[in-house]
Amino acid sequence: MGEQSRYLPECPEMSEVVRKLTEEYGGHVIFSRESEVYVEVPRHELRDVAKYLYSSGAFLKTCAAVDERPLNRSFALYHIFGMDSKGYDVIVKVSAPEDDAWVPSIVDVVPAADWCELEARDMVGIELKGRRLVRRLVLPEDWPEDIHPLRKEVPHDFRPPSVKAESEFRPPERGIPIGPYHPVLHEPEYFELLVEGETVVDVYYRGFHVHRGIEKLGESPRFTYQKIPFLAERICGICGFVHSTCAIMAMEKAAGLRPPERAEFIRTIVLELERIHSHLLWVGVAAHVLGYDAGFMHTWRIREPVMILSELITGSRKTYGLNLVGGVRRDIDKDKMEKIMKTLEKVEKEFKELANLLVSVPQIRRRAQGTGVLTRSEARALSVVGPVARASGLYRDVRKDYPYLAYKEASFKVPLYTEGDNLARVLVRVEEVFESISIIRQLLDKLPGGPIMHEKCSAIIPVDELIPPGKYAVAAIEAPRGEDVHFLMTGEGRPYRWRVRAPTYQNIPALRPMLRGDPLADAPLTIASIDPCFSCTDRALVIDVRTGRARMIKLWDGGVGTCRL
Amino acid sequence: MSIMKLLSIAARAKVVTRRYPFEPPVVTEGFRGKIEVDPKLCWGCGVCTRICPPNALTLKKREDGTLVLSYFMGRCIFCGMCAEVCPRGAITVTKEFELASLTAEDLVRDVKHDVVRCRICGRVIGPAVEMREATKSVGGAEAKYYDLCPECRKLVVARGIMTKVGVRP
Repeated sequence: MGEQSRYLPECPEMSEVVRKLTEEYGGHVIFSRESEVYVEVPRHELRDVAKYLYSSGAFLKTCAAVDERPLNRSFALYHIFGMDSKGYDVIVKVSAPEDDAWVPSIVDVVPAADWCELEARDMVGIELKGRRLVRRLVLPEDWPEDIHPLRKEVPHDFRPPSVKAESEFRPPERGIPIGPYHPVLHEPEYFELLVEGETVVDVYYRGFHVHRGIEKLGESPRFTYQKIPFLAERICGICGFVHSTCAIMAMEKAAGLRPPERAEFIRTIVLELERIHSHLLWVGVAAHVLGYDAGFMHTWRIREPVMILSELITGSRKTYGLNLVGGVRRDIDKDKMEKIMKTLEKVEKEFKELANLLVSVPQIRRRAQGTGVLTRSEARALSVVGPVARASGLYRDVRKDYPYLAYKEASFKVPLYTEGDNLARVLVRVEEVFESISIIRQLLDKLPGGPIMHEKCSAIIPVDELIPPGKYAVAAIEAPRGEDVHFLMTGEGRPYRWRVRAPTYQNIPALRPMLRGDPLADAPLTIASIDPCFSCTDRALVIDVRTGRARMIKLWDGGVGTCRL
Repeated sequence: MSIMKLLSIAARAKVVTRRYPFEPPVVTEGFRGKIEVDPKLCWGCGVCTRICPPNALTLKKREDGTLVLSYFMGRCIFCGMCAEVCPRGAITVTKEFELASLTAEDLVRDVKHDVVRCRICGRVIGPAVEMREATKSVGGAEAKYYDLCPECRKLVVARGIMTKVGVRP
């Protein structure tokens, strides 16, 4: 393992979990690394294993279905459990032979498995046994029944003919549609709010309108490990750098190489710059949703220098193109350092003043306080991530739980609120902006010397030979919206399977408990309060809120969190 | 109360919006725009087309035998990887980004490469510039074979040796 051991120290508790899984549940370890262990368990034991892991404090990060028929004539489902408090992942694999392709559903044990199980059924065609509500999540209604896009025999550019399908599930007729475009967030999403008078009683969601098949593309001969960071960056227009860094961290883990320290610092600094601009963008949008456009414009005025700064450091305002396997392409010199310091000082001063003003405006306080409440137990059951979790009193932050890159070198606090309402989510993000500013200052101060690219890597050298086939890696990063997870299974010269779970994927199901029982007028703010990113989720999702006119659009076939809490 | 605070913030910020396009755009010195390929330096080796993530750069063989390095800005993501890998330094990243056009053809820049054909059999050997530059470093007796394809070269050399040793070819 050599270099890999530097990622995280050996964890004693991990062996206890492994012992339990192997001795009591008949599992066997297929692969392990310091912070990850991959255990295959017989499928009839999966529910008990999930129960055990969930009760010992694990969060379900996501699950990834893999078509392994070319390797061993079976399908596989990898449930990624994160032991947040201990800092390691337990990946539970279950196999299903190709002629008997089913796995037991764990959604009643771990509600967070809802979406990823449905996705496994849509994309790979693994049936779910023991699940009450089974319906399509990702694939459109007119997609043929027997074609599962992530199966290996389906070409990446395959376009099946549209087939007429009768949806077995239709929402009641009196819904108020929000979508298919969100009037504020400008992304495709579709919500249907069921109301009694002015009170929302239930919520349905239909997303994945902008599914671009990025995971499939990454497995296609069109891409190599060298090009995937640029593809990953395009998963999201706001937190693209998170995705490219996360994909690269997974590849670097698989290759067993660690980028030079200076490159790690630069990546961390750019990640935090991205958080600042993302949170400022969101605070502006939230003000706009509340009709406080002056707040919106001033927040975005304050944000602009951060964008210009990003361009200076990376070459582009967004989709930076900074990352390569093994390091970064541009260094931060003295002159740039000074400019970063100056910009941060200005942003900090101006945003402090504006944020104090924003949260003191009575109209904003009244609209945000006590609306869209997500309780701690709901947040835990749905494994919500990021500011949504932290506003509901759930202490989760990948930067603290699984320290990566240079985060160990900086001291920062994780803002935590217990109210779980929209105001708490505003405050968490406002405070995080200042924490990020402080992190960047500390890291610039400690910025080590040396190269910015690993000696074995460069733009010219193909990295394919460094990443052997048959390896696994899970990487996670705290994106502005929460935990972003990339699962990688390596193949010949490119990923065999690359699974991306964006933070919004985990947070959208939380909208149902948030919206229920609240006045209709607060719905747009509540939906915006999770800072949804539909492109990410659809890659991976989008949400739309049009209050008012009850024009029925029959797009309907899914629900926000099909499991009832 | 909050209105007064807001007014004071606004008064201090003043107007920040630029009068673009009447004022020059703000781009920093780090900005990456479209690329330019110098036809004098480009050899037509095609390394850039292999690294290009969106396939904006492609190397096409025309029917008349010429090679064309085609750059389609409509697909370009302005990452500048091509400039990084170009062994000839023929690609420069410019700061130009105002590329809007009504036709897709306006977004294409082609670098045509004449090819060298074998003087005996007429087969295409490679791009002319690459061949010319390569022969510079060869020189001497070898240089006279540069416009021959590998097959014809073998024949010519063999014939030369045979004549020298007095065997009729």
